[in-house]
Amino acid sequence: MTTVAMRAWRDARRGLITLLILLAGLVFAVLGGVASAYPTVEARTEIARLATTLGPAATGMTGPAVGVETMGGYVQWKYGTVLVVIAAVWAIIALTGTIAGKALELLAAVPLSRRRIALATTGGLAGVLTVVCAAASAGAWLGGQVFARLPGDGISVGMAAGLGAWLWVMALAFGGLASALAPWFGRAVSAWIAGVVLVGGLVAVGYRTLSPALDAIAPLTPWAWTHDHLPLAGRLDWASLLWPLLAGVVLLGVGVESFARRDLGARVGLPRVRMPAFGLGGVAGRTFAERFPTAVAWGSGLGVLGFVLAATSESMARQFAGSPALADTFERIFPDFDVSTAGGFLQLLVQLLFVLAGFAAVGLVTGWGADEETGRLEMLLATPVSRAGLVLRGGIGLLGAVTVMTALAAAGVGLGAVAAGSTDVFQPVAGTAVLGLFTAACAGVGVAVGGITRMSTAGTVAGAVVVLTYLIDLVAPALRLPDWVHGLALTAHLGKPMVGDWDPVGVTVCVVLAVGGVLAGAAGLSRRDLSH
Amino acid sequence: MIIETERLTKRYGTRRGIDEVTLAVAPGEIHGFLGPNGAGKTTTIRTLLGHLRPTSGTARVFGLDAHADPVAIHRRLGYLPGEFGLYDRLTGAQTADYFARLHGGVDTAYRDALIARLGIDPGRRFRELSKGNKQKIGLLIAFQHRPGLLILDEPTSGLDPLVQQEFQALLREARDEGRTVFLSSHVLSEVEAVCDRVTLIRDGRIVRTGKVAELRDLAHHQVLLRFADTVPVEAFQGLPGVSDVEVVDHTLRMRVSGPMTPVVRAAAGYELLDFESREPGLEETFLRAYETAS
Repeated sequence: MTTVAMRAWRDARRGLITLLILLAGLVFAVLGGVASAYPTVEARTEIARLATTLGPAATGMTGPAVGVETMGGYVQWKYGTVLVVIAAVWAIIALTGTIAGKALELLAAVPLSRRRIALATTGGLAGVLTVVCAAASAGAWLGGQVFARLPGDGISVGMAAGLGAWLWVMALAFGGLASALAPWFGRAVSAWIAGVVLVGGLVAVGYRTLSPALDAIAPLTPWAWTHDHLPLAGRLDWASLLWPLLAGVVLLGVGVESFARRDLGARVGLPRVRMPAFGLGGVAGRTFAERFPTAVAWGSGLGVLGFVLAATSESMARQFAGSPALADTFERIFPDFDVSTAGGFLQLLVQLLFVLAGFAAVGLVTGWGADEETGRLEMLLATPVSRAGLVLRGGIGLLGAVTVMTALAAAGVGLGAVAAGSTDVFQPVAGTAVLGLFTAACAGVGVAVGGITRMSTAGTVAGAVVVLTYLIDLVAPALRLPDWVHGLALTAHLGKPMVGDWDPVGVTVCVVLAVGGVLAGAAGLSRRDLSH
Repeated sequence: MIIETERLTKRYGTRRGIDEVTLAVAPGEIHGFLGPNGAGKTTTIRTLLGHLRPTSGTARVFGLDAHADPVAIHRRLGYLPGEFGLYDRLTGAQTADYFARLHGGVDTAYRDALIARLGIDPGRRFRELSKGNKQKIGLLIAFQHRPGLLILDEPTSGLDPLVQQEFQALLREARDEGRTVFLSSHVLSEVEAVCDRVTLIRDGRIVRTGKVAELRDLAHHQVLLRFADTVPVEAFQGLPGVSDVEVVDHTLRMRVSGPMTPVVRAAAGYELLDFESREPGLEETFLRAYETAS
């Protein structure tokens, strides 16, 4: 039993290191950044005033603006939800991998009951999560000790512990949901459902005042249950943590029992549209067809979000136009965006979609990269198709899938603009192309590294590009880091196409990364041994 | 020669792959490539296909350098890897169709016949198939364009005995049509049943190449005789085919090549309590071959 738990630790070691860096490192660095960027009482007062005057449309994805004038309060407001999402995504991936992963049949053959195996692995992963959350607490406490400059900046042990506990129970709740679903629906479907509940819940709570439908959903999510627990802002609502804790424990219990009682590998069939097979004519067509469902899924998601953003942008812009003080406040935080126009406000919101578009690239390129690991590449390269030809044609198929995804996202934005009564629909639709360019660029980098080294690395590399870009884009302006640091993020060079301001340099870089990446991957695969 | 390697060596860093492998496969023969797991069979095959670059030495297939011009070789080749994956969402028929288009020149009537003979359900998706049925799809892809050379790595893995027989019939038909088969296996009986010539590989080195009959000569039995009393060793040492006789108390161990009759007759002269005859494993046969070679 201990061995099984240790195996869970061993399997999770990379995630553990990544999470430690992401959570503990991010908390510590951001605390330091806030202290340096807002070193005076006046600056803090100003930022707190800005935070509290922003409307829910602008702050929906952040936490409640409480105690923003303190170092911890600012971090809690701006980055608290990000920290939870990072921890919860890891928990979802790790727990579904345990309950529905590939090594399951071998593991289930060891002389332990399935219940004990599930308990041991789940317990092992909960242990990993505990270490990570404890490290986040330590990062917060240490950040408070090192960087506190103004009254109220100190972060007590209780506040730091409150942060770790919050991250822990939230990750447990969403991970528990994925774990409960995994024996029934398999790894991918359950991870998707839990991910949708995670992000959907955040959106529902953040924008509940804008829509009765969201207001009805909001109380069902752990985000709402712990809404008043703002540990780094000094507001601790320990009792509220009991609900996600209870939900997590119950759901994990359901997962363990389902794993113990159900047939291994048996899945509840979900209704799905069986599309006629296509893409049998060649490598480009096959790659496109294989990636098509992923492209449609991501494109539809981006399209729905784009629809909502575009549909609300017109009315939000009108609000800003009618309230110069609010517009002024907003423009101080986002100096590069003219929020008094629908296009300008949409541009600001579309920045949120880059990270999603980037993860779409990760999904697409991971599927492409699976060819080598699964042994499919060996079959394909025994046909009269050259290695370079295989990567080039595969790259065409991959970029075709990115085009489908972008077209769907653009359709959503266009429909939203129409619904909002916009007079210029073409501009936002065309502007959505930057999402596709960013996706293609990330995919290109993945293909390049996958072709040169090993195809299975493509997804990881693309993911690293996306996460680094996101973090730089998130942290560099907020911490007033030098321009060249922010300039490292590709998304900083894509202009504001929603208002017709295209940045040719960024567009060129994206095209070069996409096409050049495929060419580099083709050259790389031609010069190395296949691995399997 | 259809396949010809000359001191072909592949190293993975400091790890051994194959070492100075020299072999020749003639047109129209079924050539067995025998060796235990990890001997270097798959490395040799993947180097022949151009999937791995040789560290040194040469590999030629159809007279073409395997590394310099793999596409020209693949045009005339059918290949089944030891382990492979295909498209989970495609049915067997769709998968075969896709590879047929990549290869070109597939006779659909022949393909349909293969589907029937191998007992393939062409309408089922690849992910729904058992290991053996996936292997059949792999065989279909390798055979369907009637390649001049078939390179098959452990092709009967997971196949039931009836399909194995059909597979062997397909190999003989290919040979009768003048095509060449290079068959990697660690199953002696399979190689004995269909191959004309055999190459043995062990620890990355070729141990022996010869006709199957020569391989049979390598085969021997380990015999154990337990008697009620002590028996003279000399009574067995000189018998035809008997070697390595050892005695422990009342028990004799020996290696017997060829007919068992002389041993049985000699043993009948004493009070025999137990008689045990065991066919050697492949590893022992290789060891024997290795000893013979060295």
